Formats: sequence, C-alpha cells, structure tokens
Amino acid sequence: MLGFFARRLLYLVPVLLAVSLLTFLIASLLPGDLAYTILGDQATPEKVAALRHDMGLDQPIWWRYLSWLGHVLQGDFGRSFRTGQTVLQAVAERLPVSLELMLLAQLGALAIGIPLAIACAVRSGSAFDRFMTGSAFSMLSVPAFLSAILLIYLFAVELRWLPATGYVPFHEDPIGNLRSFLLPALTLALGEWPVLMRVLRSDMIATLQEDYIAMARAKGLKPSRILLVHALKPSSLTLVTVTGINIGRLIGGTVIVESIFALPGIGRLLLSAIFTRDLIILQGVVLIVALGYVLINFIVDMLYAVLDPRIRHGHA
Amino acid sequence: MATLDLGIDQDVVASPVRRARRLGPLFWIAIGWMTFVFALAAFADLLPLPSPFDMDMLERRAPISAEHWLGTDGLGRDVLSRLIYGARISLIVGLCAPVIGLTIGGALGILAGYFRGRFETLVVGSMDVLLAFPPLILALAVTAYLGQSLVNLTAILGVLGIPAFMRVARATTLTLAQREFVIAAQALGANHMRILLRELLPNVFLPLFAFFLLGVAVTIVVEGALSFLGLGVPPPISSWGIMIGEGRESLEIAPRLAFIPAVTMFLTVLSFNLVGDTLRALTDPRQGAL
Amino acid sequence: MKAATRSRALARIFCVAVFGIALIASPAGAQKQGGSITVGLEADIPGFDPLKVGVFDTAASTAAAAIFDTLTYLDDKGVAQPKLALSWSSSEDFKTWTFKLRPGVKFHDGTPFNAAAAKANFDRQKDPANKCRCAFYISGIKDAQAPDELTLVYNLNDPSVNFPAIITIPSSNWVMQSPTAWKTKGDEYNRNPVGTGPYVLKSWAAGDRMVLERNPDYWNKGRPYLDRLVLKPLPDAQSRFASLQSGEADVIWDDEYDADNIQKAQKDPKFKVHTYVGSGAQVYAFNTKVAPFDDVRVRQALVMALDRKKMSQAITNGLARPASNPFGDGSWVKCKDDGALPFDIEKAKALIKDYGKPVDFKMIVTATPRGRTVGQVLQQFWKQVGANMEIEQVDQATVVPRAFMRQFQLTPWRIVDLADPDAQMYANFRTGSPVALANYSNPELDMLLERARVTADQAKRIEDYCAVSRLVNKEAIWFWTFQNTYYALSSAKVKGLPKMYSGVIDVSGVWLE
Repeated sequence: MLGFFARRLLYLVPVLLAVSLLTFLIASLLPGDLAYTILGDQATPEKVAALRHDMGLDQPIWWRYLSWLGHVLQGDFGRSFRTGQTVLQAVAERLPVSLELMLLAQLGALAIGIPLAIACAVRSGSAFDRFMTGSAFSMLSVPAFLSAILLIYLFAVELRWLPATGYVPFHEDPIGNLRSFLLPALTLALGEWPVLMRVLRSDMIATLQEDYIAMARAKGLKPSRILLVHALKPSSLTLVTVTGINIGRLIGGTVIVESIFALPGIGRLLLSAIFTRDLIILQGVVLIVALGYVLINFIVDMLYAVLDPRIRHGHA
Repeated sequence: MATLDLGIDQDVVASPVRRARRLGPLFWIAIGWMTFVFALAAFADLLPLPSPFDMDMLERRAPISAEHWLGTDGLGRDVLSRLIYGARISLIVGLCAPVIGLTIGGALGILAGYFRGRFETLVVGSMDVLLAFPPLILALAVTAYLGQSLVNLTAILGVLGIPAFMRVARATTLTLAQREFVIAAQALGANHMRILLRELLPNVFLPLFAFFLLGVAVTIVVEGALSFLGLGVPPPISSWGIMIGEGRESLEIAPRLAFIPAVTMFLTVLSFNLVGDTLRALTDPRQGAL
Repeated sequence: MKAATRSRALARIFCVAVFGIALIASPAGAQKQGGSITVGLEADIPGFDPLKVGVFDTAASTAAAAIFDTLTYLDDKGVAQPKLALSWSSSEDFKTWTFKLRPGVKFHDGTPFNAAAAKANFDRQKDPANKCRCAFYISGIKDAQAPDELTLVYNLNDPSVNFPAIITIPSSNWVMQSPTAWKTKGDEYNRNPVGTGPYVLKSWAAGDRMVLERNPDYWNKGRPYLDRLVLKPLPDAQSRFASLQSGEADVIWDDEYDADNIQKAQKDPKFKVHTYVGSGAQVYAFNTKVAPFDDVRVRQALVMALDRKKMSQAITNGLARPASNPFGDGSWVKCKDDGALPFDIEKAKALIKDYGKPVDFKMIVTATPRGRTVGQVLQQFWKQVGANMEIEQVDQATVVPRAFMRQFQLTPWRIVDLADPDAQMYANFRTGSPVALANYSNPELDMLLERARVTADQAKRIEDYCAVSRLVNKEAIWFWTFQNTYYALSSAKVKGLPKMYSGVIDVSGVWLE
C-alpha cells in the first residue's frame, strides 16, 4: 500500500514539470510582453528594450525557465513587476474564493444529481428515465453567461433575495458570504449536475443487479433502506472520482462566472495575467493550479484505492 | 470550458453487438431535427434568405414580420438568416473538433490499452499534463499567437478533447484485451496490427462514437463560452454561441435575441445526446438489463 | 471593437485620468455626514506606484482621487482652484510657475507634506534611471525646486498658460504621494499607497473590494462626508447595472455602449445619470506606408463612407456624439472650419473607382463584444462603397505592440480627455514620434505642431490646431468616429458627484441624502 502511495506521488513530479515547461513555452509565444503593457503609449523600442532588460525578459528562454524553476524549488514563486504582489500573496487571496465556489457548486450539483440519479436508476428504462437522462445533458447547452444573468435578474433584481454581485469574506460575515456564493454556485451547478447524475445512475443500475440486493429484497428490507444504504454507497466510487476531478479542474476554469458575479477568484487572476502578459503571475499560478489539480486527483485515487482494493493490484 | 472532459471513465464495456431495443419515437425525432438543421446549414446559400451580414441600422431589434421571420438583431440583421448561417459555424466546430479528439485520442487510447507498459504511462502522463493545464490559457495563447480563425478554434477545442477520448478508448480496450476473442486471435498468431485493426477497433468504435456524439454537444456549448471571452470566430460570421452572447446585452428589450439561438442550441444538443445515448444503450449491458 | 477598444484596452493603457473635484462648491449645510457607498468600477486596479503602473487608468484614478490630493483642482467651470496649493503665480513668459503650499498638511503616515515632498514626487518620475512611463507627461518640465518649506517652483521648457489646470488631474504625475512611504515599503508600496487625501486605505483584496475610511485628520475640516468608500471591480456590464438596481452598488462606471441601461436609468427616478462631455475622440489610424492606404484617395473614400449618425444610432441608441475633429466639443479648441470630409457615398465610390485596384485590407479590432460591434458596422459602411475590410480580432495586450511595430493597416486608438491638446497632438502627428501611427510626414504639420506648443496666445494656438485638424482631415491619415462622453450611473440619493473630467468618477466629495 505504501509503495503504491509513493509511486503515485512520485508520478506527480514529471507531470508538474511538464506543465511548467508547457506554460513557459506557451507564454513565450504570446505577442507583446509586460514591457508593452507597462509602457503603453510610451513603448518606444529603446524603452521596451531597457524595461525588458530590467525584468530579465531579454534572457534566453531556457535560462529564464531554469532560473525560475530554481527559485520555485526554494519556495520563491516570484513577484509581479506590475502590481508588486508576490505570486503566493495573489494566490492566497484568491484561492479561498475559488475553492469555496467549487465546493458549493459541487454540493449543489450533488444535491440535484443524486436524487435524480436514484430515481432514474430505480426506474431505469422507463419514460421518466429516458427523458431525464436525455434532457439532463442538454441542460449543459444553456451557457453559463446566459443562465448567470437570468439568475441575477430573477433573484437579485426582481425578488431581491440575494446580492447580484460581490464577495464577502467568510470571517467577516458567514451568512453574507454564503449569500454571495449562492447564485454563482448555482450557475455552475446547473452545468455540473447532469454529468454527476449520469455517472451515478449508470453505476447504480449495475449495483442494483447484484445478488446481495436481491437478497436484501428477499429479506424484506424497506426499499428506501436498500437504495440509500446498500446500493448508494457501493455505487458512488465513480461519482467520487468525477467530483474530485471537477473540483480540481474547475479551479481556474470558472472565469466567466467569476467575472459576471465579480468574485475575486483564480480564473480572473489568470485572465488578467495573460491579458497584461504578467508572466511571473501566469507561470506561478498555473503551476499552483496544476498542483492543486494533481493533488486532488491523487487524493481521489488514494480514496478509490482504499475503497476498492482491486485498484491497488494493477487494474488501474 | 467546464465540460471538456466529460469523458468519465465509466468503463464502457462493449460487447459484440446486442439485439437492438426499439429505438423509440424520440430517437427518430432527434434524427429528424439533426437532419433538418444539417440540411438548412448545408443549403443555406440556396435558400431565399436575406444576407446574414447586411445591416439595416434603422430597423434594429425589429419584431417578427413577413420580411424578417424571426425579426432583426441589435444591428438590424435578419435573425433567421444569421441562425442558419450560424448553424454552419456551430456544426463545423461541433463536428470537426470532436473528430480530432476521436482520431488522436482514440488511437492513443487503443494503443495504450493494448500495449500497456511504458507507452501507456507516457500517454496517460501527457494527458494528465493536458488536463492539469488550464484550458483557457491554452486557448488564449494559441489564438493570440496564431490569430483567430475557424480552423484555429476547431483545433484548440479538438486538442482539449483528446484526453477524454483517450480515456474512453483505453478503458474499453483494457477490458476487451482480456476477452476470449482477442486472446484467441493472439493464440492463433495474429500480429499486433491485425488484432488492433480487426479485433479491437470495431469493438472500441461504437462506444467511442457514442461518446463522440456527446462530445459534439459539449463542443457546441464550449464554443459559445470561448466566443463570450472573445476567442471565437472573427466577425461578421457568427455562431449560435456568439448570437446568445450578443442577445444577452438586450435581454430586457428583446429577450428573443438570446433565446432563439439558445433554444436552437438546446434542441440540437438534446438531439445529439439522445442519439448518442441510444447508441450507447446498444453497447452497454448495464443499461439494457433492467 | 475599435471604439470599444477605446473603452477598455486603450483607455486602460494610456488614459491619463483627470481628477475629479473633491472640493466642489456646494451650498453649505445641505451635506449630511456619515454613511458609506459602494462604487462599481470597470476594471481591477493594478496599483498606485507610478514606477510600477506608469499611469493610472480611470478605475485607479477614482481611488487616487480619494486617497491623494493634487495641488489644484478644476471647478465645474473648468477653472483651477486651490487644493494643496493655496496660490500660484507665473513668470511673464509663463515658463516658471511658483506655488505657495498649504501649511500643516500631513500624509496618512504622519509625515508632513511640504515643497520637498512635492519635489521628491517630481524628481522620482523625472529620473531617467527610473524609466517611468509617466515621465513622458512631464517631459515639458525641466525641473522642480523647493526654495523653502512651502514654496514649490516648476521650471518649464516652453511656455504653458494652462499649467495650473493641467496639474489638476489625479494621475500618477500629479497626485502627491508620501516619499517616506514609498521608500520604506519598497515593492509593497504599490498596493499600500499613502497620500494626504480625504480617505485612508483600510483594506484591499486584489480583484475585489478596496475599502477606504474617512481620514479624521484631513486638512479640510468637515470633509469628507462619508465614513467609508468601497470600490469594487465589476467587469461585466450587465451584472454591473444589475448591482446598481439591486442596491449592491451606489455608483457605477458606464459607457455609451451600454446605452440600453443608461436610458433605462434616465427614465427611473431612483437613479441619476451623470455625464460629461470631454475633449478627445475615439480615433483610428491608417498606416500610410502600406497599400492600399498609401493612396490618399482610398483613405478619403473610407472616411467619406462613414455615416456617424447612423452608426451612433446602431451602436449606442444615438447617445454617442459624432466627431469631426480630434478635439471635440469638450475642448477649448473650437474650429469654424475643421476640414471634416463630408459623408458622401457617391464621392467615396468614385474615389475607389478612380483608385482602380481592389481595396482589401485588415483592420485590428480588440476581442470584446464592443470591438466586434464597431468593427462590423464599419465593415458594412465600407462594403457599400466597394471596399472589403477583414476584421482581425486580437486581445488587448496585442494592440499596443502591433501599433508600435506598425504591424497593422488600420488600428484603433484613442485621444483622451486632457486639459491641453499639446501632449497628444504632438505625439500623434509629429514626424517620427513613436505614436505617429500613420507613418506620415508633412513639414507643414510639423511646423504647426511645433509652433502651437510654444505659443502663449490661446487664440493663435486655436488657429494652429484648427489648421492641424484641416490638414489631417484632408489627408485622412487618421479619422474620428465619436467624441468622448463619460457616464456614471448612481442611485438618486448620492449627491455631490462632480464633473467627470477625463472620465474619472470622483466620489471623494459625495454625501448621501
């Protein structure tokens, strides 16, 4: 077991290295650089050259990569030339927002998806099942930028139940914090639940065919108990994986929702870093986001392995 | 971007073709709608439509009339015409991008699942890199470097879809590779090429194709999201996603500008999904059994 | 996006913000103390250290107007009034300006504001070793001297009659920052600014709220009125307006591309629409070194094909005011004849026909909804006269390098609202200037620009600038679509919002009713 953990953990290192190298290469393809952003209408060739020199952008790319990597390995992710913020400061400010948004969105998606999945699995093949599985997926076709503004009009402008935009830190006002996250989390959840529902539904259908379920039925256990206790748990392995992947992936992938609801999350940080060519921030944040992604996946893998011993023995 | 790797390795276990259940009326309605949209998009030039680009700047957001069947948009262009020409972009992107994913991801997945070992580790590792890399950054960087065009947009979405197809193909291959007919072929001395092409490919293809149809649906939606961020096809051509984004700015004055393309997109995605699902049901024993 | 470019990309990059007036004269006794407001801005604020951010964009200027003070401010009539300076005088030739500073003013960190501090601000920006982008806007000033504690002298290279008005802008050049603070805080200073202004920075989460609290020791007793200001970036126009409607924001930045919402607010007694007609315009530059724009007939034809009124109707419900010269109604440069080419489709077609070759070109457009809209409308106009324009969408950070490297045929640009046209006109049209995007050279134009910048007599300067406008219009090396109009929407209970000089929403003097 320990060996398996170590192997998986070791595997993350080359993945992260590759991500960081890819970020560097891609960033170096972008036209323009931070010197132009800072100089604006004063971007004469001489001034650009001088500023690039000050920022070290005139060094060859491999040298910049290695020196950046060297600093990162010592825990120094660098500091933006434009805002003066360090990468760690910027991430520390924004990561909690992104994480909370993701967790609430996933909770929302699970709250919608699990009951529907159970209902569909029980009556699998019925008209209800076929309708739900079909239409659920096409819920995805309502773009977040449309559903977000519709939710704002409904719940903030018309009903005045929830704030339209903004973020309140949890430690200042826990209730206000939750209220400010409800609409954005709901917007994201609307795009997430169909996936979770389908995964759980199909696993649950398989579980319901197992002998022990038939036995439980024969013993006369209450159907609700069979479903929730005996069937749901063994059926949720894939669900755990997918939820984990989603949380990891969506950190930094929610820029539209963050912009519309004015949440200061990682997505907007990345977007502004790329629009201003603030490469120090870009590289640092991409690496940290990737780290988060692989770590969450790692944890899910481990969870999976603990729950299902077959995985450990090679059926990866 | 949130939905690119819906891949979900629920190991789709393919079994050599089972008896088809009744396809049902929904399936045929879906096929009908898809055909209808395809036909309109393909023959748009032959239809007696006003130009989708010509603006009547004094006839903005005009209501539905005999002249403009679905009214005009914020710049006075015929909505019906833009919807039909928009179908071209949405369908081209929606079909071509998953083809890239299907081809590359499918091939990598089959090879990885069959050969295992170092090659598999490498493939799975590179896919993990691709997944861990924020897709938005990739899209922004590529469009900034290569310029914005239909081809580049399709390529980006295609590449982003590769990991999902790879997962589906690999999972299916892993299961199949232990099945009697593959083992039998190996025992009979068939070479790798023959096993891959004659034994594995036909059986992996159906689940992959079912997944492809879902990919089409997802890609059409993601294209809209990218367009909203300014990474879509350059104007004046537009996709449904762009039309929804434009209509969003006058939701209170002319909500139909956002809702007409949204409903069209919804129905199309629904159709692809229904067809994909039905095909999947044919290959997935777990669904058929109860 | 061309015009849109203006609002986001370019404005952000080189908008020199003008300071609002903190001290607007209003009837005494009407103002109420206390309360707090939230302001919705269009963009994140990168920071306040001139060496880091170069110049402030309009969002940063709104914050700067509250945290810092300038020596002078512009009243509602556009006349400079005392702020940190009590009085001023100039030499006969308008090349030396002497300011008497207000005694007893302290920065938020307790250090005194005096002539030495003001000089330190200037010297830091002027120092070539610091390579500050902000240095460009003070290039006409030779040096600053502090002969005594409360006397500050600026020595100019050329006469400047308007100097006290020019320095009213709450831009990185003219706000007074604490020298002690930037020296001790180093890299951290950018996000921890220290000024003498009516509000003190309390907290600031990047990309989110900046909380400013009343400065209890403000030199102007009784000011400011509010206890607290909250500034928030609300990047999405639709949800920004929804925030005003639902009460999350009390004042929001807006622009004429959001015309539906502006007009909705105009009709609603719960809201007030603030608007300011500035100088400058949304402009576009032809690269006259590349075909087809190396031929004046093509350039003229494209300009003549523009129906600005219709365009304003289509894009902004008619809110945007057509521009026929680079100065605009908000400028003191008023021309009897600015030489604008008429809207004339037939003439335009004839010119293109005369040119003889097909007119195909690409236009840079920023990848925003507004950029796309403007691009498509222009494309439509030009199609009608037989010119084929292809839209090339690029992201905001690409526009500037492309412009400077002259990698464009037609690019959007912006002339912002400034108290004096010299800085921008000289940069935009003088042969060899990096921002002379058209790559166009004309000795007469150069002569006019050189003369206008050193002339003291305003009437003569107006004559020269009108001649510049006639020449540029005739040669059609740049063209203008709309004048600069700035918008802010507020709840009706917000009072005392001054004119938005340079588009800056200055909330430092407002109160709640």
